[in-house]
Amino acid sequence: MSQVPGSEVLSPHEQRLIDEMQGRSGKYETGRERVFRIMKRFQMQRPRIDIERALYFTESMKQTEGQHLMLRWAKALKHIAANITVYIDEDQLLVGRAGKQGRYGILYPELDGDFLDLAVQQLSQRVQSPFDIDPEDARVVIEEIAPYWKGKTFHEALAKALPAETLRYTYDPQNVLISRFIVNETASFRSCLQWVHDYEKVLKRGFKGIRKEAEERLAALDPLSPIDNTDKKPFLEAVIILCDAIVLWAKRHARLAAELASRERDPQRKAELAELARICERVPEQPATSFHEAMQSQWFTQMFSRIEQKTGTIISNGRMDQYLYPFYKKDKEEGRLTDERALELLECMWLGMAQFIDLYISPTGGAFNEGYAHWEAVTIGGQTRDGRDATNDLSYLFLRSKREFPMHYPDLAARIHTRSPERFLWEVAETIKEGSGFPKLINDEEVIPLYVSKGATFEEAYDYAVSGCSEARMPNRDTYTSGCAYINFAAALEMTLLNGKMRKYGEEQIGLQTGDPRNFRNWEEFWNAYLTHQTEFIKQAFIQQVHIIRLRAQHFAAPLASALHDLCMQHCIDLHQPKIPGGIDLGYFEFIGYGTVVDSLAAIKKLVYEEKKVSMDELLEALAHNFEGREDLRHILLNAPCYGNNDAYADGIAKAIDRAALEFTHKYARELGVHLDLRYVPFTSHVPFGKVVGATPNGRKAWTPLSDGSSASQGADRNGPTAVLLSNFASKNYDFRERASRLLNIKFTPKCVAGEEGTRKLVSFIRTWCDLKLWHVQFNVINKQTLLAAQREPEKYRGLIVRIAGYSAYFVDLSPDLQNDLIARTEHETL
Amino acid sequence: MAESGVVFNIQKYSVHDGPGIRTVVFLKGCPLHCLWCSNPESQKPGPQLIYNRNKCLGIENCVRCLEVCTAGALKAGPENRVAIDRDVCTECLLCTSACPSRALNVYGEVLSVEQVLARVEEDGAFYTRSGGGLTLSGGEPMHQPQFALALLREARRRRLNTAMETCGFCRGEDLREACGLLDTLLYDLKSMDSEKHRENTGVSNELILENLHRVREDFPDLPIWVRTPLIPGFNDTVEEIRAIVEHIRTLPGIRYELLDYHRMGKPKYEYLGLEFPMGDRMLDEEKARAIRRFLKTEAPELLTPERPAAAAESFGTGGR
Repeated sequence: MSQVPGSEVLSPHEQRLIDEMQGRSGKYETGRERVFRIMKRFQMQRPRIDIERALYFTESMKQTEGQHLMLRWAKALKHIAANITVYIDEDQLLVGRAGKQGRYGILYPELDGDFLDLAVQQLSQRVQSPFDIDPEDARVVIEEIAPYWKGKTFHEALAKALPAETLRYTYDPQNVLISRFIVNETASFRSCLQWVHDYEKVLKRGFKGIRKEAEERLAALDPLSPIDNTDKKPFLEAVIILCDAIVLWAKRHARLAAELASRERDPQRKAELAELARICERVPEQPATSFHEAMQSQWFTQMFSRIEQKTGTIISNGRMDQYLYPFYKKDKEEGRLTDERALELLECMWLGMAQFIDLYISPTGGAFNEGYAHWEAVTIGGQTRDGRDATNDLSYLFLRSKREFPMHYPDLAARIHTRSPERFLWEVAETIKEGSGFPKLINDEEVIPLYVSKGATFEEAYDYAVSGCSEARMPNRDTYTSGCAYINFAAALEMTLLNGKMRKYGEEQIGLQTGDPRNFRNWEEFWNAYLTHQTEFIKQAFIQQVHIIRLRAQHFAAPLASALHDLCMQHCIDLHQPKIPGGIDLGYFEFIGYGTVVDSLAAIKKLVYEEKKVSMDELLEALAHNFEGREDLRHILLNAPCYGNNDAYADGIAKAIDRAALEFTHKYARELGVHLDLRYVPFTSHVPFGKVVGATPNGRKAWTPLSDGSSASQGADRNGPTAVLLSNFASKNYDFRERASRLLNIKFTPKCVAGEEGTRKLVSFIRTWCDLKLWHVQFNVINKQTLLAAQREPEKYRGLIVRIAGYSAYFVDLSPDLQNDLIARTEHETL
Repeated sequence: MAESGVVFNIQKYSVHDGPGIRTVVFLKGCPLHCLWCSNPESQKPGPQLIYNRNKCLGIENCVRCLEVCTAGALKAGPENRVAIDRDVCTECLLCTSACPSRALNVYGEVLSVEQVLARVEEDGAFYTRSGGGLTLSGGEPMHQPQFALALLREARRRRLNTAMETCGFCRGEDLREACGLLDTLLYDLKSMDSEKHRENTGVSNELILENLHRVREDFPDLPIWVRTPLIPGFNDTVEEIRAIVEHIRTLPGIRYELLDYHRMGKPKYEYLGLEFPMGDRMLDEEKARAIRRFLKTEAPELLTPERPAAAAESFGTGGR
């Protein structure tokens, strides 16, 4: 009786790809000629490495040894600002790039200088996210840049500091450049966690205002105080140098623009260049007075921030629809701005973002961020500082841009709360249906009470901005920047089965000896053995974090990020120092392989101990041989209760695991003086982490990806999307404030959400997600056939955007592994 | 509450069977035998053994089912597959629990009203926001009238929004009692040609039409969605659809929709050891387009989807 209304339905995104293939793309470009021209110049390019930042940074650091670190960093930034090539791209209305034209990445030798020489030789060959480098540039890196940093990087210092037993969970003890992907630190491949600046400060006060504040504070220092002289004075001097540096950099653009304008023959472009020269002369030094100036001032700030340091997944953009709104409103009221012009400026910025690639030199970093992923999140919607709905005309303009311009940057994030206007949710749903996966959604109803419970005021919590993949930041209150641990709990499960060893690493006793599982008498013994490993893993992660917190302050400084932070300025302390008075230190540890572990434990509990259908011996034997000749057993395991189906049996185990981890951090994080909260956000790490784990008792084959975030194991969610949400809800421990982001991906086929009825149902689905207080959700509206076709004929599907764990990437940029992982995820098609 | 019945599927997140996000409960047993039936497992009233050759791991790898079959109904068959002698099979279903891959499985399970509604209520949070709820489907829900009515009565008591899909071939009293418990009625109307109807579904359409008229009269406020599966070679002409449209136009307040024929049920015929009567026939896209054009131009008032319960607009309120 039940029939399917409609047959194959394409998402608009898929329709657009087909149109482009058939040469019918014109209709999307009308009115957007400029941005399409810019896009086409770099779209098919393989990214190139630009070494200027690394070169000038190193030159300056060589000259300033022994000085206060923040002062050294500020001087290095000024040296870069004075010497780095400045560019003005054809057709662009915003200027400021940190390297060559086209898609490019820059180097941070302070992070990876010790192996930079080896790495640049291999970058163009690696499977994940390859890069090209000019041979002469490669020579400079190998001969001039890398040698200086050997013995000086944080990475080397950390490897030396870690105790032997922690080290073997972290790196290969024979070669500390090789990560083991068991208890994985992320502090050595980035200088800072994903972060958001208070851009509004720049727009309202300009760097002139910030410089003035530093001068006043400097003048007010106690000239006799040893601490003021040792710590505060260099801090404030560094802020002044930093302000001068970014202004110098901007003014070099002004001069170039004026010069180009004088030579330009096309009158329209001549006027644009002259206007650019005027704007760059003014901002970011002075406060912005127009929408265009505000955009340019913000863009200079975020680009200079990229030059300053490698922020995890790149610096985020904060609540753009809030801080840009006064400029937009004023310009529109005064007839100086149309929505079309505002869109053009915004899209010029998206194009700038798309060209800057978050280059990871280390194999670990590269594996974490497949597909040249970066998340410079732009936040829209949510609530104002006094708890009213914050949606405005600009929020809708951002959504419109995302629907109409097929660019996977920026990473658009919409904050949703119980009173989000119906129109906002409808436009969000319509934008999601476009098929590129944007915006991702973050839930005010979960984030705000949690942040208040962690010590924020209501005003600060209401004003949070989405940062990176799914994190939330309060720009003047957050003070924790140390990269945090990603923990492979599927490895803990394997150690439970192998008495502390792992298949990948053979006879080496990496973990604790919890006994041969064949001797366990009941489920409780098995469960306790697993928990012993889980707890040990977290303990090792926390030990790592202690060393990381202590060491980072000696290696990293951030004058720009500090200058924009109220608390850093007030106390004259660099943002990377361990303790900043009044700050809230929101760190975390990451649970990777949740679905894999839960499903494996559920299978063991039910089949081995309760039903006794499978013996432990038989199970171990089958796992050792990757289920070869035991497909029957593998299928029995696959059909055991699974997380993601709103099944109380599996979800109960999921909740108990979550709880045990929360209890540990509840007890011990305070020793570190920071919050280390439990997250489920993998980036793409579930793929490399899967590569070190053999076959698992949930029927997963050896070396294949682990489950992703808080999503179900690939293909295990058989009861549809409502069950996926409900399992997430059921497995959370709402009585603990140590919980944090859970990344949740839901894939719909276009048919599921087709038409007005489909939108209505998607809206109500989102409302229920909000009711359930789940942190994050993102949707992927795509046909499995489309993915398969893209795998067969990548050339034809270059523009196909898919979402993986918190971000979108071009499907064809992904390694075959990850493509298969995406295809394997259950499609929610209703009958 | 002691009432129980045979259910062959409970489908969460159903968005095409009534307003909002719904859970469809499929009751087993149907008085019709439509050639195109996409749920052949729904036709017989009791639980049935099925065998999915594609899921089977092959008898070279696994003989767990052969080992437990005491009736001698399962044997090693050709192509590394199991052969089922359905005449010998006692449907003891031991093989279904032995099968690792669920290639051998059972369609149909006896469940109580309480068990069914407990499953349905799991998605309560989604009904609240979407105005969705429970949809009874089948088979033909009115083929298990006591069970269906008990489900609807209890669902009402629990403030669940209710809908029912029916072929209309049932006792009028049962249907009217059900309508008193429904928020939406989904009513299949396949053809106005009674003879053709008999040939293709096994029954004529008089009772179906009579029930529809009677329900409309007795329940003037009940939203009724008449639905026609568009079947190649049976009713895929403008004339056929025009006849249906002209008929339902004489009744007030009816929403109409077409359901495209699909062959997604075909594998299930194989699982049950049955022939698929429709073979490889497909819906002609041209014809389907012509029919949709006709509806759009000549019966647009029937197509306008009714707004579902106000809940979807003003959040925070219940489904009703």
